[in-house]
Amino acid sequence: MASPRIVQQGIKQVKPLMSVDRTEARRRVLNLYKAWYRQIPYVVKDFYLPITVKMGRDKVRELFLKNKHVTDIRIIDMLVIKGQMDLVETANIWKQRNHVMMFFKDTVNPKPKDFLSKFYEGQE
Amino acid sequence: MASRLSRFIRPIASTLNHKYGGASSRTLGCIQRFASFGVEGETPKKPTVASHNPLVRQRLRDFGAYIAECMPKYVQQVNVPYHDELEVCIHPDGIIPVLSFLKDHTNAQFLSLSDIAGVDKPMLENRFEIAYILLSLQFNSRIIVKTYTDELTPIDSACSVFQAANWYEREVWDMYGVFFANHPDLRRILTDYGFEGHPFRKDFPLSGYVEVRYDDEVKRVVVEPIELTQEFRKFEANTPWETFPQFRQIEGDVQKPMNPPEEKK
Repeated sequence: MASPRIVQQGIKQVKPLMSVDRTEARRRVLNLYKAWYRQIPYVVKDFYLPITVKMGRDKVRELFLKNKHVTDIRIIDMLVIKGQMDLVETANIWKQRNHVMMFFKDTVNPKPKDFLSKFYEGQE
Repeated sequence: MASRLSRFIRPIASTLNHKYGGASSRTLGCIQRFASFGVEGETPKKPTVASHNPLVRQRLRDFGAYIAECMPKYVQQVNVPYHDELEVCIHPDGIIPVLSFLKDHTNAQFLSLSDIAGVDKPMLENRFEIAYILLSLQFNSRIIVKTYTDELTPIDSACSVFQAANWYEREVWDMYGVFFANHPDLRRILTDYGFEGHPFRKDFPLSGYVEVRYDDEVKRVVVEPIELTQEFRKFEANTPWETFPQFRQIEGDVQKPMNPPEEKK
């Protein structure tokens, strides 16, 4: 029995956020990454962070790679916009130490995975 | 139509002309300014219920039709919802033209932007509704310009028309995540640095995603993911008081009106 619903095909026209094609979006992401990469030594120095420059750059890389599955150009642009705002807040020292250290989540204990550690935590 | 209306209000207008130095009776605001004068002697007013002036509503409808006629490309709907204020629903492309029209037109002069409000309606395709609330000091009248967008579609910033839009748009951006193109200084305004998410979205949980506390070991404020565990509860949304005793609903029973006790015997 054929489905009565007609499958709508075609391209939906959308308004671009900033970039019009993938190349441009990619360039924006790389520019933002470079800007963060160059800012990290100053961030570590200005905020007296208890981390090394290497650790900071690794964290930047990790946070960028967290979104590597994103393919929609508009979502990439939105993430770039938010990352850019974050960079400005950090570079102008509007943030404080704890805001920058939020990225590292060094006080968050990992959730217990196996049965015995869950038992010790008192979950089961 | 206009001549008939002006004939109707001529007695009022002529008395006002003495007082206000010949204000034109044809303008929208003049009628609305003295709205309370129009309905005297018809029905006793209830002090708690807003009264409607059909004359004012008709004038507003006419003005709305005029706006829609002037900008047919952008205005999608015009209505006078409940209060005697006009509501103009426009296409998101037309924000700058419509706002500048309302600001600069002689018979509108909505020079003041009172607020920009966002509404989140997740069931709609364009889930965010942006309402520009304008005030005309000249005609003592307000107007609401509504438009729509979704999470990723940018809408034009009204900063070039109204300076006041700057912080309002930053607030909408911060609370709803609506991006305003060509905004001079778009950044957070209410949330803390490092805050993730947009708290006025309907899918943002009431408790938030993180909790903030001071940690004595690392000597700073730390942010941790929140974990609120509670037992499953069944909420009953009905009020415990009987609001409509005539329509008493028993659990598991179909709603049926209870007959009032019979008086005659």
